[in-house]
Parts: sequence; structure tokens; C-alpha cells
Amino acid sequence: MSEIVVDKLTHTFGKGSPGALTVLEDIDLTFESGSFSSIVGTSGCGKSTLLKMMAGLFEPSDGQMTLDGDVIKGTSQRRGMVFQQDAVFPWMTVAKNISYGPRLRGVSREERTAIEKKWVEMVGLKGFEDRWPRELSGGMRKRVDIGRVYANDPDVLLMDEPFGALDAQTKERMQADLLQTWRQTQKTVVFVTHDLEEAIFLSDKVIVMSARPGRIRHIEEVSLPRPRTDEMRLTDEFIQIKRKLWGMLEH
Amino acid sequence: MTGFREMLKGRLVLGVLSVATVFLFYIIVTNQPDNNPALLPPLTDIFKSFITNVTSGSLFTALGASLFRIFMGFFIGTTLALALGCLIGWYKPIEYIFDPLIEALRPIPPLAYIPIIIIWFGIEEFSRVLIITIACFMVCVVNVVAGMKNVPQVYVDAASTMGAKRFQIFRTVAIPAATPFIITGYRIALAAAWTTLVASELLAAQNGLGFLLQEGRRYFLTDQVMMIIVIIGTCAFIMDRIFRMIQARLMRWSEARE
Repeated sequence: MSEIVVDKLTHTFGKGSPGALTVLEDIDLTFESGSFSSIVGTSGCGKSTLLKMMAGLFEPSDGQMTLDGDVIKGTSQRRGMVFQQDAVFPWMTVAKNISYGPRLRGVSREERTAIEKKWVEMVGLKGFEDRWPRELSGGMRKRVDIGRVYANDPDVLLMDEPFGALDAQTKERMQADLLQTWRQTQKTVVFVTHDLEEAIFLSDKVIVMSARPGRIRHIEEVSLPRPRTDEMRLTDEFIQIKRKLWGMLEH
Repeated sequence: MTGFREMLKGRLVLGVLSVATVFLFYIIVTNQPDNNPALLPPLTDIFKSFITNVTSGSLFTALGASLFRIFMGFFIGTTLALALGCLIGWYKPIEYIFDPLIEALRPIPPLAYIPIIIIWFGIEEFSRVLIITIACFMVCVVNVVAGMKNVPQVYVDAASTMGAKRFQIFRTVAIPAATPFIITGYRIALAAAWTTLVASELLAAQNGLGFLLQEGRRYFLTDQVMMIIVIIGTCAFIMDRIFRMIQARLMRWSEARE
């Protein structure tokens, strides 16, 4: 069980001051345990802010969020996050990056080696264990990032436009690989993106947000069968969903 | 022809050529018939002075005394700078306490402390080391603080969302991320140590390289003065090279390595 519930959440930057700006208003959401959900919306709709709050990087001004009933306050190993920017530690090798979380908690050498081996393979970086991040491409560094968060064994994965900076081919490959990893681990994933196709391809549920202030506009249940394949991106059903949601995004 | 061009591009070759050109120019100037060797001693005289001072042992005594001061002042100054700089850069309340002090003291050249240090502690070894310590500390601490403040937020957030506590982030993220700045601070401190060393020895010392310089001036031994200048330059150069090697080793991960 690892269900996130967002309950009447409103966030105002500089609340009480004349320049106060409400970025999120009346957000009610439930992310079921083991589900894959995406949040889409144009820039400025507060989707990244919402995700960072789930991570515990800052607190909402009103309302709350819970993970399995516990109010989210501060960061925790239970809620791992993959960032839009490159967050791989450049001073650690690929393997050391992967085992960063477990090493924080002082796991034994055997355990550490096992975790490194498992996740380096899972994210497709076998043979690159001892490389420095600077020697890797952008896509490979993102793999390190994702492997590192998975290796830390969180209950929930929060992903903030992780593939935003990648080229189209790499991106599709990464999406397929991410789905495979998700299927094998059954962890709850909340994925923020502005790419509709990405959201539909990955998710059980696509949450469309409107901007200024950020509100929930629509929630689309995606009933495409799993496992998803690249060919599905061109099916009528896929395109219909895309067309419907596209009309809801503010351009 | 291409082989020669490749060689010319080589760093070592160009470096040697650069130094050799200065020497050549110096030799040409000192060989002019109207050159006064008392003001501009020929290279041979400078070398003779080197031999004389080596055989009499005075050069090694002076070098030993100076190097001791450098190492003491540098070690104490940079160690304090590292410890305090990390705390200032990482913990806001500590920054608010120390920042105004450091900003106020920073523009004061370390040599300005010489009179008061002499009044308080006399012309002692302690005083000379203290001046070098102050010089090293001041230039180094600024860099350490800058390094800690420039730790990219995304690294801190990433560590934090993996469950790292504040001190763990400090140890596993902030320190390594700040390493480039810290090393630069150490290198600048080393240069500062040399400048303050000679100045403090010129004013108040019975031995050391600065003392030999002062002696050279007093007895009009221009060749000795020139010789000491070359020695200081060489020592500082060698130390900086060693530092760069340490830097290259510590910074294997960085894209900006040399």
C-alpha cells in the first residue's frame, strides 16, 4: 500500500502580502497504490509545484497531502523524486550514484554491491559502473538518476519532466524502459510532463490542469491495454484521447 | 615540418621557450658594454652568488626557515578557513554572525597587521607565522564560503528526497560539490603565503629568504638579491605545480579539469 491523497490543497506564494500569488487552488486527488498517473498542463499551471510538495520540498499554505494516511511533512526516503535537471552527482561514479541512498543508511558492502549490480542492469547501464557522469550522454545520465531513485526503494516515485531535455528517439526508448521497470516493481508513480503523448502512453490516469491559478480541469482514465507498445501511439483510440485532451490544454 | 609544429603546440616546449627567451634577453642586456653590473648583475654573477650561499649553508638555512613559516601559516590558515568557511556557507545563523566581520576585515592587507603584531608579540617566530596565517585564512575562507553557497540546489534536493539528513547532505553533497572552489582557495592562499612571507621577513627577521634579500640590499649585493628572487619564484612555481597535480587527482570527476 502506498496511496497518496491530496486533500483541498491550495498554495499561495507570499500569502498575506500584497504580491501574493495563488498557484494552486482546491486540488483534490488520489493516486492509487501501484498506479501510474501523469499530470499535464501548460507551463505555469503549478504541476511542478504540486509534485515538489508531494516530495516534501516545501509545504502547501492550505490543505494537506497524505501518504497512506500519514501527513506529508518534509522529505523522506519513502517519496523519491527524479528531477527535470540533471541531478546525478558528478563526483561519484555511476555505481556510487546508484547506491547513494542505501549507503546513507549504512548498508553492508555485500548489500551495496548487490543493489548496484541489480539497478545498473535494470536501467541498462551494464559496463558503465565505474564511469564518471561526465562521460555519459544526457539519456544515460537520466538512467542513472532513475536507477538511483529506484535503488533507494521508495514507496512512491515522483517524476518532474524527467525526459524533457532528451531527443525524441531517446525519449521513446526511455518511456518504454520506464514502463518495464514500473511493471516489475509495482510502485506508485506520479509523472509530471507537458507532453500529452508521453502522458497517455505511460499512464493509467492523466490529470489535466488549467493555469493561473492551477486547478484540476479533467481526469482521463486511459484504458489502453498493458503492456503498452510503441505501435499503440498510432491507434485510433490513442489519437482520440490525445485530441480530446489537446483541446483542454490552454495554448 | 608538421612534427615541428606539433612540438611547438606542446605546453612544455612553449613554457621552456618562454623562460629561455627571458633569460636570453637578460643575457643580451647585461652584455651591453655600458651595462652597470652593480645594478644588473650578469647571470654568471647570480650563479656564483648561488654557489657561495649554498656552500656557506646560508641559503639552506634561510630556505628552511622560510619554508617552515610558509607551511605553518598555510596549514593553520587554510585549516581554519576550511572549517569556518564550511560552517558559514552552510548554516545561516553562523553566516549572519561571521559574514560582517569577514567582509570588514577582508579589504585590510595582511601586512597592515605587522605593526600591531610586533607591538603585541614582538619580533618573534610566532608573529611571522601569525601574519602568514591571517593572509592565508582571509583569501581562503572567502572561496570556501563561495563554494558552499554555489552548491546546486538540485543536488541538495535530490539527496534530501533520498532521505539524507542535513548533516549527511553537508558531508556527501556540499563538500564534494564545493571542492573546486576550495582547491582554488588553497592555491590563492599559497600565493598569499609567499607574498606575506617575504614582506614580513623584510621587516622583521634574522633569517629567511626575505632576510637575505634585505642583507643583499644593505651590502649592495645585487647578485644575491637577484638570486633570491629566482629562488622564491622557483619554489612558488614548484609548489603550485604540486597543487595542480593534487587538484587534477581530486577533480578527476570534473569536466573542467586541466
